[in-house]
Amino acid sequence: MISKKWTALTVFLLSMLLILGLATSCYASEGGVPPFPDIYKIGWTTVNFFILFAILYKFGYAPVMNMLEQRTNTIESSLQHAEELRAEVEQMRKEAQTNLAESRKEAQEIVARATKMAEETKNEILAKAQAEARAEKEKALAEIKAEKEQAVAELRDTAATLAIMAAEKVLGRALKDEDHQGMVKDFVKEAGDLLC
Amino acid sequence: MIFASSYEPLFHIGPVPVYDHIVAQWLVIILLGTVAYLATKNMQTIPRGLQNTFEAIVEGCFNFFGGALGNEHAAKKWAPLLVTFFLFILTNNYFGLIPGAGTIHGFVPSTADWNITATLATIVFFVVIIAGGKNFLAHLFTPHWLFLPLNLLEQVARPLSLTLRLFGNIFGHEMIVAFLVLMAPFLVPMPLVALGVLTGLIQALVFTILATSYMADVVGEGH
Repeated sequence: MISKKWTALTVFLLSMLLILGLATSCYASEGGVPPFPDIYKIGWTTVNFFILFAILYKFGYAPVMNMLEQRTNTIESSLQHAEELRAEVEQMRKEAQTNLAESRKEAQEIVARATKMAEETKNEILAKAQAEARAEKEKALAEIKAEKEQAVAELRDTAATLAIMAAEKVLGRALKDEDHQGMVKDFVKEAGDLLC
Repeated sequence: MIFASSYEPLFHIGPVPVYDHIVAQWLVIILLGTVAYLATKNMQTIPRGLQNTFEAIVEGCFNFFGGALGNEHAAKKWAPLLVTFFLFILTNNYFGLIPGAGTIHGFVPSTADWNITATLATIVFFVVIIAGGKNFLAHLFTPHWLFLPLNLLEQVARPLSLTLRLFGNIFGHEMIVAFLVLMAPFLVPMPLVALGVLTGLIQALVFTILATSYMADVVGEGH
């Protein structure tokens, strides 16, 4: 068991030796490590590096940095705008609430005023109607009274005429106008007193 | 694969030689520049597609490295440079994973050359000094002036460690993959190539995080 291990190790080490030997021979045949210092390579590399830096700065870093800054500004302004809008909306909400409360109060006042006005109008109309009714009644009563007086007067006249005619028939003669008048008047007075 | 690439210049522009690694860097610049341009060509407030991905990567890197700096002002100022380090190194590391890397000229991870990693580390060194200013000098004398030699040693060790760590990892990985490809070109190197994806990301991240922490030491609220 142990001998197998040692054999494997020996083979491995020999392989490594062979590889290293081959590597060394290849390395030596191809010129080995690059010569140092090579002033041209150093110069070229310095120039190339700074050219690359300039190109990347011009076309890479600067536009990206500007874009990032612009994006940051856009986001900041958007956030600020959103905050302003939020404050505005809040203000508007408060205003709307105040307006609503005021409107409600005003509506209540209007309703109260309208109710009061309607009540007053009702009372006024009622009072006017009552006054008119009273006036109509009084007018009707006055008319009735006047009609009554007229009827009484007519009745008196008719009664007088009838009395005269009756008297003429009874007396068989015509009375003188003076007698006539005096009698009638007496009669009428008596008749009127009786009637009233 | 490093073996197939040559350390001889690919061509010359006047007297100046141009190497594979430099062409690879140009390809990286073109690739990253094109992606950045296409992503930001028509920027929308609500991002979509490539813009969204690019913004996420850039913003993520900015927050990560900027946050590690711990100082908002410094983060705004220096994060772009740190992100460039990260993207440059990451893309360069991944260039070695593209099929044909090493055989086609220009397709090599330029971070497998220590001239390049040393350059990047030197840039970090100077950037730290510039970013720190007076703080950097003050940092050399903390916690006591007696520590100056030690602090100076630390300042020298930092670029050295940055250079060797990145170079060693990428170069080593490239060598192992190249060797395995020589030994057994089919399937065998696959796990190591897959590991290369992780190594490339980790090394880019480590380099940039270390650069960030060096900077954070001198720009104020360090770690």
